[in-house]
Amino acid sequence: MNLHKLSSRLCPTVSKFRHLHIQSSGQQLEAVAVETESTEPNPLSVFRTSEQNPTYHSERHTGQYYTLPPAHIQKLFPHGLPPRFQLQIKTFNEGCVMVRPPVLELISYLKKADYSKPPLRYILYGDIGTGKSMSLSHALHYCYTQGWLIVHIPDAHLWVKNCKELLPSSSRPSRFDQPIQASQWLKNFKITNEGFLSKIKTTQQYVWTKRESTEKGQPLGVLVDQGVNRMKSSSDVVGAVLRELRLQAGGTTEGEGAFKLAVAVDGVNALWGKTSLKKEDRTMVCWCKPEELTLIHNLRKMMKNNWSGGAILTALSQTGSLFKPQSAYLPSELLGEEGFDNMEPFVPVSVSNYNEKEFESCYLYYLERNWLQHPHSRSEEGKKELIFLSNKNPSILERLCAFL
Amino acid sequence: MAAYITHPALSSLCKINCNINAIYSLISFSRRISISSVLSTSAVTTESEAAGQGVRGQRRSKRQAGEPRTERMTVDQDWTAVYPTAASFKPSTVPLPVRMGYPVKRGVPPAKKGNLELIKIPNFLHLTPVAIKKHCEALKQFCTEWPSALDSDEKCMKHFPIQVQSKEFVSAGLSLKNPDARIVTLKVKLSSLNLDDHARKKMIKLGEERYCKDTDTLTITTDSCPLRQQNYDYAMYLLTVLYHESWKTEAWEQEKTRADMEEYEWEDSPSQKNVLDTLLRMRPLGAKDEVEELLGQPAVQEYRDTMLRLKNEGETEENLHKYKEAVKKLFNI
Repeated sequence: MNLHKLSSRLCPTVSKFRHLHIQSSGQQLEAVAVETESTEPNPLSVFRTSEQNPTYHSERHTGQYYTLPPAHIQKLFPHGLPPRFQLQIKTFNEGCVMVRPPVLELISYLKKADYSKPPLRYILYGDIGTGKSMSLSHALHYCYTQGWLIVHIPDAHLWVKNCKELLPSSSRPSRFDQPIQASQWLKNFKITNEGFLSKIKTTQQYVWTKRESTEKGQPLGVLVDQGVNRMKSSSDVVGAVLRELRLQAGGTTEGEGAFKLAVAVDGVNALWGKTSLKKEDRTMVCWCKPEELTLIHNLRKMMKNNWSGGAILTALSQTGSLFKPQSAYLPSELLGEEGFDNMEPFVPVSVSNYNEKEFESCYLYYLERNWLQHPHSRSEEGKKELIFLSNKNPSILERLCAFL
Repeated sequence: MAAYITHPALSSLCKINCNINAIYSLISFSRRISISSVLSTSAVTTESEAAGQGVRGQRRSKRQAGEPRTERMTVDQDWTAVYPTAASFKPSTVPLPVRMGYPVKRGVPPAKKGNLELIKIPNFLHLTPVAIKKHCEALKQFCTEWPSALDSDEKCMKHFPIQVQSKEFVSAGLSLKNPDARIVTLKVKLSSLNLDDHARKKMIKLGEERYCKDTDTLTITTDSCPLRQQNYDYAMYLLTVLYHESWKTEAWEQEKTRADMEEYEWEDSPSQKNVLDTLLRMRPLGAKDEVEELLGQPAVQEYRDTMLRLKNEGETEENLHKYKEAVKKLFNI
């Protein structure tokens, strides 16, 4: 994985056509490269930091990129990273995240918080494309390295729109199930929290159908498997899993089962917004309300702070939201009255465009990756153009550079 | 009468509140008359000329235009004599080097000679400060004296809080009357009325869009009756009724819900409940603690202030920042 990086460091001015050759001959260079790595101080990596653990990130790392270990990416973010970032990881063969002040602030709160008290709710808000989802992923990486149990919903908007199958709920008559979404989420949950599945035990019996039920005291893994295998009851399984986690998070009685719970929801304003799902109701077709969906109902219960031993990290998102204007980015605009009343008291964390240093970092990173192919982009003029065109907005800059 | 009134039909004796539209309609009216008179005379002359020329049909040599009047104007002339009434822009009469129009091909706006744009627009060359002073001097003999005790705006507002406006129109057409003259507008500041809290809120609700929050003015416009006197009486009646009704409290007003409230109140709000629940969960109520004491803590009060500011003033970055500080203090981060 590091061959590409090493080779590009050795020959910084290589043209794009020679990349393929270098990768194949990289094995010969490897032996040489190991020695040169320690001797020559690399001028290009002023924007990188070697600190891979988010626990130790501090102000002196702001603006620098740190690499997400690939093992972590596979486990922690099977579905979690924003799609464009996933493409970037595939292209650059590495996942690098910039350390930015809002995340440092969030991580400092997480470090200082008292976990015997009810969880604090943090809402990341900001204009479109300023990096809220990425910041959430960074904070989640911190929680993962600390050994917390992660409940990550990458985009709550996906649960309120474009659902192919909407079944009336088996357990409650007025609710609707989304089997595909629920079972997919359970699969990803299983990948992320492999270690905890055998340690946590259920506290009550759950009856799914006349023949199937999960007894009390079974490990959580059995519950999750039940949901993955039986699609019909997967939404109810999600509800049960969330309930179990709520009851047992931060449990001080069982020394072995004590864990901290991180609930991360991206696009949390979907929970109190409108849906674009239609329901057939006695020959009339009308829109579903979010509370009529089982998944949303259970997730709303998670958002309340009537449990203890964890933290609720959320990010607002206008891009996937339904029926909200593009200019809305402040919490009460996107959450609405109901959402605001449910979520408060929360700590709002503002995420904004890059400042000078961060922009410089990003620019150098793209240069180093040879992502900016246009010769003009390497000059000062080109850099000024990029600043002007993107207004230092991370996502616009990324899309612009993709063309160059 | 004064010398500036040359055409009795075109003069406009307007009250101070006369609007521009009325003057503009008069100008266009006068222009129509002047243009139509010009056209009629030129039509007559060309006809006679053509009859005089006969079969030849040659163009007679044009008479040379003399030097424009602007060359002979002195700086300290009497401008009211040049433009005594509303008249169209005459380039040879106005000594200003005015340019108007679109600069074609990166050029400059065209000059004033033969410029239709300058003729089309309304001008106020007949209303210079000197001219208006002359108007005032002439009108003074018809006016009564302003009361000497009312020498400032505040005193006027204090003694005469209700302002009534209406428009007068003078027209010379088929009918002398203008139907818009019956409209009466009544403006009053609610702070000058004797209203308590409930009465004020009820009056604002009853007034709906007639109340302006920024200037605290209630504006009642009446035009349903045919005569101005009737409309004035109706407006005064409406004001009286609003005032008395807002002091009364009906039985169904007890059912006022949170959605009907004009301002956000923190007491009994979901926000207060949330905060209370959270605080109780963090530290369960002891035997001596009381809910009021819990709510009376300075951190909670600060949270309450920021919430009120957020909801009443709208959400801004600054308000959100203060809210964040308050939440941090509340939970001791």
